[in-house]
Amino acid sequence: MNARGFQGPPLGGIVTPSMLVAFLVFGTLPFWISQVGLYPYLGIEVLIWCIFALGFNVLLGYTGLPSFGHGAFFGIGAYAMGLAQFELMPDLWLGLGCATLAGAAFGAVVALFLSHRRGIYFALMTIAFSQMFFFVASKWTSVTNGEDGLLNIERLPADFGFAAVPLRGNTAFYYLCFAGFVLVVIGLWRLIHSPFGKVLQAIKQNEMRTSFLGYNVYLFKWASFTLSCAIAGFAGGLFAMAQSGAFVQIMSLQWSGIVVLMTLIGGGFVSFWGPVIGTVFFFVLRDLLGAYTEAWLLWYGLVFMLIVMFKPEGIAGMWQDAVRRLRGRKPVRGTGPLAALWR
Amino acid sequence: MDLLLNLLPHVMNGLSLGLLFALVALGFMLIIGVMEVINLAHGSLFALGAYVAIAFMSPEGGLQFAFLDGYFALPVAWRLAVALLLAPLAVGIVGMGLELCLRRTYGKDPLYGLLLTFGAALVLEETIRLIWGPTERFLPIPKEISGGVLIGDLIYAKYRFFASAFAIGMILLLWLFLQKTPYGALIKAGAHDSEMVRALGVNLSRLRLMVFAFGTSLAAVAGIVMAPIWGVRPHVGVDAVVPAFVIIVLGGVGSFWGAVFAGLMVGMVVGLTGAFATDWSLISMYMLLIAVVTFRARGLFGKKSVLEA
Amino acid sequence: MSAVLFEARRLHKRFGDHVVLEEINLAFPEGRLSGIIGPNGAGKTTCFNVLTGRYRPDRGQVLLDGEDITGLPPRRIARKGVSRSFQLMNVFDQFSALDNALLALPALRDRGFDMVHDVRRDGEAQDRAAAVLARVGLGGKEATIAKSLSYGDRRALEIGIALAAEPRILFLDEPTSGLGTEATARLGDLVRELRRHLTIVVIEHDMEFLFGVADAISVIHWGQVIAQGTPEALRENEWVRASNLGRLAS
Repeated sequence: MNARGFQGPPLGGIVTPSMLVAFLVFGTLPFWISQVGLYPYLGIEVLIWCIFALGFNVLLGYTGLPSFGHGAFFGIGAYAMGLAQFELMPDLWLGLGCATLAGAAFGAVVALFLSHRRGIYFALMTIAFSQMFFFVASKWTSVTNGEDGLLNIERLPADFGFAAVPLRGNTAFYYLCFAGFVLVVIGLWRLIHSPFGKVLQAIKQNEMRTSFLGYNVYLFKWASFTLSCAIAGFAGGLFAMAQSGAFVQIMSLQWSGIVVLMTLIGGGFVSFWGPVIGTVFFFVLRDLLGAYTEAWLLWYGLVFMLIVMFKPEGIAGMWQDAVRRLRGRKPVRGTGPLAALWR
Repeated sequence: MDLLLNLLPHVMNGLSLGLLFALVALGFMLIIGVMEVINLAHGSLFALGAYVAIAFMSPEGGLQFAFLDGYFALPVAWRLAVALLLAPLAVGIVGMGLELCLRRTYGKDPLYGLLLTFGAALVLEETIRLIWGPTERFLPIPKEISGGVLIGDLIYAKYRFFASAFAIGMILLLWLFLQKTPYGALIKAGAHDSEMVRALGVNLSRLRLMVFAFGTSLAAVAGIVMAPIWGVRPHVGVDAVVPAFVIIVLGGVGSFWGAVFAGLMVGMVVGLTGAFATDWSLISMYMLLIAVVTFRARGLFGKKSVLEA
Repeated sequence: MSAVLFEARRLHKRFGDHVVLEEINLAFPEGRLSGIIGPNGAGKTTCFNVLTGRYRPDRGQVLLDGEDITGLPPRRIARKGVSRSFQLMNVFDQFSALDNALLALPALRDRGFDMVHDVRRDGEAQDRAAAVLARVGLGGKEATIAKSLSYGDRRALEIGIALAAEPRILFLDEPTSGLGTEATARLGDLVRELRRHLTIVVIEHDMEFLFGVADAISVIHWGQVIAQGTPEALRENEWVRASNLGRLAS
């Protein structure tokens, strides 16, 4: 406790109570998932998209930059994983490294063009680049195998030197994804509460003032974008192994749009966990509602519109309001130091 | 010399495309003036126009009612005329619905408005997919304007001439409407300075609704006329909103003939790219957008425009 | 006679056909409080914006301690120790008052790319930010979200942010804007206190306020400096007496 009365998170400043809950829930998932009528592979999908969405929210929720083409970097990561396996060496760590690096590299280049902008210019540029990448991926058949996709990507064993853990089974692979999830959560939590994270949030609220305070706004936006693309690439690498292939459809605008919807509905604008909540909500909806109607994505889109219109703080925002009401405070956005606890 | 001559059909294509792009852009531009955010769903309404038109053309388009048998037996040209009249009206109504949804985001961070129109675009696309299916559809056109025509030694698509003529007609009508009629003057004023219009006592909400209906109907008309050229797929919306945006940035928000001229330029780029590599023609549009925004998009008119937000 | 810390030479700025600033020469001595006054539309705010780097002058120079900073981007000028507050409030609405000040600290500015350390546990930075807030009268309100502060408190925060940057020269853009008599008086006290440690330049509308705190005032009208001098000297100035601003004539 410092002079200002703000407590840092307990447990050595690394893990918070909410993290522990999340880790517990996800860590034990393979053991209870069938009990609730679902299946282990769903857990893999959810975690991969959680990672993607958490990285994406650094850009959208914290920096306020709308990228509608992020699926391109997810797909680039997937292809990089496959290509690393086939062209370089079938090694898990190398593959994941390449996926992350590929995402970061392409993201870094695209970010050079984008970082001067916000809003609609930014959004349309991301669409343009995404479409271009989609186009290249579909046409460059010698490398990407075109519309058929890069097939037979294997779930390589996790080689720790002293032992190699095979990851072909869904449960084993799930724990690889879980490890990735833990790393990303811890890393991004620190990032959000670091000076860098604060500057990003400042940029979201008021770019001009931030630059008048001496910060190089262009560079920060560039970094935020590149980072979110690196994480997208990482998630893509996992995805390629999960699906045993890299397919161009994942780079479509539709999937890019879905991660936006997930992040916002979950409450990415007000909560660190928003993207996770949103991802879970999406997949639950897909599997539960999708069983009854083909139009589930339409409903999801309508929910999104309603949320933007009436409760842009999303599900996490509703939760925060409910908690505040229980504690006898008015459900106003973000009053008081308690707000920090739920972030 | 031969090469240049061989390019002429592609130039023709480019011109017809450009005129239709200009039509979409003009509708887009009117809406920008009264809105606070760019309407990303504009392209989906363009697509919706084509789909609704298909519904008016044949029973497979969705209107499978026995009492319409007589209507569907009419000659193609008549049905096309009906489609060109009624489909934009239907889309205009949807456009008004969208404006009503957007009201909740006025005054807030423009990011929310942008996200809402993005969501609307997705919802519209999904709706189209559900009603009409994901595969490509075709808009039947009268024999008189389809097929090729031989001019000199080159074959030109007849439809392109029709499309260009129609687009020119629509643009001129639009210009006359804006310049000469009181409604048009109101829309122009509203598009230019909504604050002032409100100060003059005009009902701003009604004006916004009207402008939206109007602008989206224009997109629908363009969508219908474009259908035989581009094909009708749920995803065609995105490909329509991008050139509209490029045109606005190039031609300037608020410049009617600037938009038309920029439209022609963009159309030419796409058409001529198509001459050399058909696959690349749409991608050329995206590359053009990137180039234009990178080099040209500074605060339009020197003041903070709605695009800057 | 103290050294001139900040200087503007022959500034010229036009927007389209409209010439907003013409042959502006200004000199702000170190450790003094200089005022700029003039009617609306006279070019004061544009002048400020040129001095602080928001606009680039068409002609002329801006010098900080002899160094030419003309045309440098605002962030570079800020890093050289030039800080400004805004007339139209520009605080970070969703941050607490403390975070607003924290962000402005040079200590934090230099660590912008630190992605690892939790700012909430940086006791020293937190204390410094709190000290700044206390100085502008926001002690005890550190945790309040900026959006929820009263208008007067937001004005104070606006200045607090500029102050937290530990500048060599502080530009205040119409700081009394919208404040009532009591708050204005408090602001006057604050400014007089700050004046002891800092070079300050104030644009103001409120002549009474400015005459009470400034060592020297420049009058800008029609984009030109039409008078300069101490408050006492200017009281005698014909133009000042004749203008609508001359409430002090008696």
